[in-house]
Amino acid sequence: MEKMSRVTTALGSSALTGRTMHCHLDAPANAISVCRDAAQVVVAGRSIFKIFAIEEEQFVEKLNLRVGRKPSLNLSCADVVWHQMDENLLATAATNGVVVTWNLGRPSRNKQDQLFTEHKRTVNKVCFHPTEAHVLLSGSQDGFMKCFDLRRKDSVSTFSGQSESVRDVQFSIRDYFTFASTFENGNVQLWDIRRPDRCERMFTAHNGPVFCCDWHPEDRGWLATGGRDKMVKVWDMTTHRAKEMHCVQTIASVARVKWRPECRHHLATCSMMVDHNIYVWDVRRPFVPAAMFEEHRDVTTGIAWRHPHDPSFLLSGSKDSTLCQHLFRDASQPVERANPEGLCYGLFGDLAFAAKESLVAAESGRKPYTGDRRHPIFFKRKLDPAEPFSGLASSALSVFEIEPGGGSMSWFVDTAERYALTGRPLAELCDHNAKVARELGRNQVAQTWTMLRIIYCSPGLVPSANLNHSVGKGSSCGLPLMNSFNLKDMASGLGSETRLDRSKGDTRSDTVLLDSSATLITNEDNEETEGSDVPTDYLLGDVEGEEDELYPLDPEHVHPEEPEYVLPQEAFPLRHEIVDTPSGPEHLQDKADSPHVSGSEADAASLAPVDSSFSLLSISHALYDSRLPPDFFSVLVCDMLHFYAEQGDVQMAVSVLIVLGERVRKDIDEQTQEHWYTSYIDLLQRFRLWNVSNQVVKLSTSQAVSCLNQASTTLHVNCSHCKRPMSSRGWVCDRCHRCASMCAVCHHVVKGLFVWCQGCSHGGHLQHIMKWLEGSSHCPAGCGHLCEYS
Amino acid sequence: MFVARSIAADHKDLIHDVSFDFHGRRMATCSSDQSVKVWDKSESGDWHCTASWKTHSGSVWRVTWAHPEFGQVLASCSFDRTAAVWEEIVGESNDKLRGQSHWVKRTTLVDSRTSVTDVKFAPKHMGLMLATCSADGIVRIYEAPDVMNLSQWSLQHEISCKLSCSCISWNPSSSRAHAPMIAVGSDDSSPNAVAKVQIFEYNENTRKYAKAETLLTVTDPVHDIAFAPNLGRSFHTLAVATKDVRIFTLKPVRKELTSSGGPTKFEIHIVAQFDNHNSQVWRVSWNITGTVLASSGDDGCVRLWKANYMDNWKCTGILKGNGSPVNGSSQQGNSNPSLGSNVPNLQSSLNGSSASRFEIREFVR
Repeated sequence: MEKMSRVTTALGSSALTGRTMHCHLDAPANAISVCRDAAQVVVAGRSIFKIFAIEEEQFVEKLNLRVGRKPSLNLSCADVVWHQMDENLLATAATNGVVVTWNLGRPSRNKQDQLFTEHKRTVNKVCFHPTEAHVLLSGSQDGFMKCFDLRRKDSVSTFSGQSESVRDVQFSIRDYFTFASTFENGNVQLWDIRRPDRCERMFTAHNGPVFCCDWHPEDRGWLATGGRDKMVKVWDMTTHRAKEMHCVQTIASVARVKWRPECRHHLATCSMMVDHNIYVWDVRRPFVPAAMFEEHRDVTTGIAWRHPHDPSFLLSGSKDSTLCQHLFRDASQPVERANPEGLCYGLFGDLAFAAKESLVAAESGRKPYTGDRRHPIFFKRKLDPAEPFSGLASSALSVFEIEPGGGSMSWFVDTAERYALTGRPLAELCDHNAKVARELGRNQVAQTWTMLRIIYCSPGLVPSANLNHSVGKGSSCGLPLMNSFNLKDMASGLGSETRLDRSKGDTRSDTVLLDSSATLITNEDNEETEGSDVPTDYLLGDVEGEEDELYPLDPEHVHPEEPEYVLPQEAFPLRHEIVDTPSGPEHLQDKADSPHVSGSEADAASLAPVDSSFSLLSISHALYDSRLPPDFFSVLVCDMLHFYAEQGDVQMAVSVLIVLGERVRKDIDEQTQEHWYTSYIDLLQRFRLWNVSNQVVKLSTSQAVSCLNQASTTLHVNCSHCKRPMSSRGWVCDRCHRCASMCAVCHHVVKGLFVWCQGCSHGGHLQHIMKWLEGSSHCPAGCGHLCEYS
Repeated sequence: MFVARSIAADHKDLIHDVSFDFHGRRMATCSSDQSVKVWDKSESGDWHCTASWKTHSGSVWRVTWAHPEFGQVLASCSFDRTAAVWEEIVGESNDKLRGQSHWVKRTTLVDSRTSVTDVKFAPKHMGLMLATCSADGIVRIYEAPDVMNLSQWSLQHEISCKLSCSCISWNPSSSRAHAPMIAVGSDDSSPNAVAKVQIFEYNENTRKYAKAETLLTVTDPVHDIAFAPNLGRSFHTLAVATKDVRIFTLKPVRKELTSSGGPTKFEIHIVAQFDNHNSQVWRVSWNITGTVLASSGDDGCVRLWKANYMDNWKCTGILKGNGSPVNGSSQQGNSNPSLGSNVPNLQSSLNGSSASRFEIREFVR
């Protein structure tokens, strides 16, 4: 509470000062009322009835009105009201049905003045006439309202609501004779005090009990009512029919409602259940409270503005046995904390954005305003300082749709759909996928596929002449590698024949090919380590020498610089992994030292996992002594897969994993593989690529993933003849011993996609049924059913 | 690059949240007017409101979609201290109201005593779970034991954060190596500088959520928090919307190195921090691959952030909230100076390959 501010308000002669503060009461409060001098407050409850002086820093107990030895039910107060004209006059409503008046001017300790025992049940509310000193009104649970003249011993008149209990009675400020009463059945009645026989007007204000009402202090035709339906409604009573002007939705049933002084549209509410807070609402913004007081720990039972012309002090009593003074300035303002914006990234890169209109408008309007002084100042609307209101808050909602191409996710869908993952030789898969990637403008990925092909496929599939040729040619046009791969792809169809025709004599050029692919990867090592790795240098030099030897024809050929210039851009991301792998140069060194041994070892190893379709090629492999084994690269390839995964391209990681299969699988953590698979499958499902997703599930070797396809899929089928559920597995019905999967159109057994109507169990080939349904909506089996396919 | 399509939302008060569904074809908005609206994308790309209903008796702060495997399910949370789960019932096909869907309240979660500020469904692999956080600083995790019965939710965990919570985010990683994890942001505005982002991790042994990390550097009120889609990464990326946009990476320290049984330790790095919004940042949202972050702030703009190959994040686009898109280049020039001050590496890396080569050399040594 230390941070709370202090407010001094000058109100004519008197000045109100104070801060947010509270004091402990001995017992829960039921109601409070303020003296007209705004310096004292009375608190009443079942076992409390005290008057406190409101001082600057604290509440000071001034008087305890519960006197006498034996507790009387007359002192168990449901309501209390302080007369707004006579500082000494109070009235309480007792839970036993008694209305008591108190005269503080009495010299004795007991200030009790008069006792009216006319109500049969609890009196819910008492109310003094605003201008008439001796008129008191009460409303009771027994359904009656009574008007007392304090100069007489009993009531002047009795008003029967002709319905359930009266919850509140309130004299109108505008009409001398009028008062409003609210009822448990949801009705509000308007009475003329001179005509007790029937009410002037009645209307249903709420669903369920109307707990409270309050006449507007200035706008005299306005009546605010609050009900158990969690609503506060503001009615214009000046018209012939009560007209609902505003409706505020609160979060709990409304127990009390009080218009805020000097603020035409503000009212304070508190609830009798669940919610302990006091809210101040601007009725024009009916959904969000303008202010919220959160001090109480139990239900707030009574609220009162301290002074009829001061909007900043609110007093409240609560079941938590505290009396509080709240400063409007210290209230928390849910509006201020509420998030004014919503933002969501869509699947394809679309952005949905909702923002408070003033934020968006301010953005566009700010600049001309500051720069341009021609705007006359008097155009500015004068704001009422007590009640700033900038119109209803609203948000602008827009979706930023991404145009195809720039950053949209369409590449993902295309890639997923077009990639070939299985069913063809590895080289073809790599080539195909490289081609797909390149067509989608993803050069880095395309290059990766090509390199994978070089690493893992038999050299025979890559006609060396093509590659070497393209390297030589490419160097002159500045993009040698890309070109080389393009050319190579075009020629890849020739691959196998070329290989078969090849003789041992080609070994040498194959070596070149292989080494150049090694160069492709290792030259970065080379350049980063600045020549510290002698063996690598040696190897490179060797290769270059050989190539130069083979192609000495090109005079513009500046070979040694060429890979250094091009590769950092083309193959840049690979740089990381290669740098990370210190084993590379060592391997090379071994290789250089004893090429024969390691080569044959590795080739032998590579024999095992290769598919049957490759076996022929692999055998011929073994002949090439100096070929680097695919195993040598597996560390690099694994690193590359990790790299793609970390970059958010799990598609590449999984695709390569599937295509390479056993070649790399063993080198990657099983858990990581599963993680990649599940992530990719999730992505595919997001894009509704069910077929691709299923294919990936099917091709995955991870146990947890491949069982996804089988888990929790149950098919319930009826026999199309006897229409009974098929019990056995398979497609032959137990009862009629006929195959159930007959096509109703062509009368053949359906193999493959079978579609059937869930209503009549008849169906058939997808194509046939689709065709049939174009012409007729009845079942093709002739059963008369109007088939429905979703 | 972007085409703005303005939608007449017709909410009666502020819209606080927008949320796309799993497939990106539906959108839900929630507002202070206590209602939620569901929008469906037509073939032509227009968004049509197919449902609008009163969900709460207070401002609806957040709305979120469940995985479609559980049906068309939404969760909303509100100032009225409740969170609610809604399911769409599509009317009979011969119904006159064909196309108008009908949302039914399946449950109301009433455990909070204060405003429920965020609600999020857990990643699908965890089952049908829901986390809420409230202004009194408690994160509650509910589970529907029977995914077919959306009306039964049991409160599984209550995590006390000690600070008024404003936002939560589940770690979306589906890896078995990553224990369920939830990040909580606080908008507590008390002047003392307390860390406002806490990360809780599920401990298999104790079967409880325990605090794994606290982002000590974030001491200003946090308005939104979002884990990036994981997609097979070994580390986690977390975006925080506070007085600026911040991106953190959390790399799990190898299990062998930490004492077993305890919460995972993380190596936390702040990889980006941008104050280009010049004001409070209200929302952050990741694209599907976790490579682009969108943020929106009090300046009424959406800014897009993307990392280059050197892991330096930079602004790749600014979109004005009133629908006029701003294309990169010109705006980017303006934003660069402050960018450079935030990320010292960026300026040098922009100079081209020579700078990046230098970086690598350092790395090798």
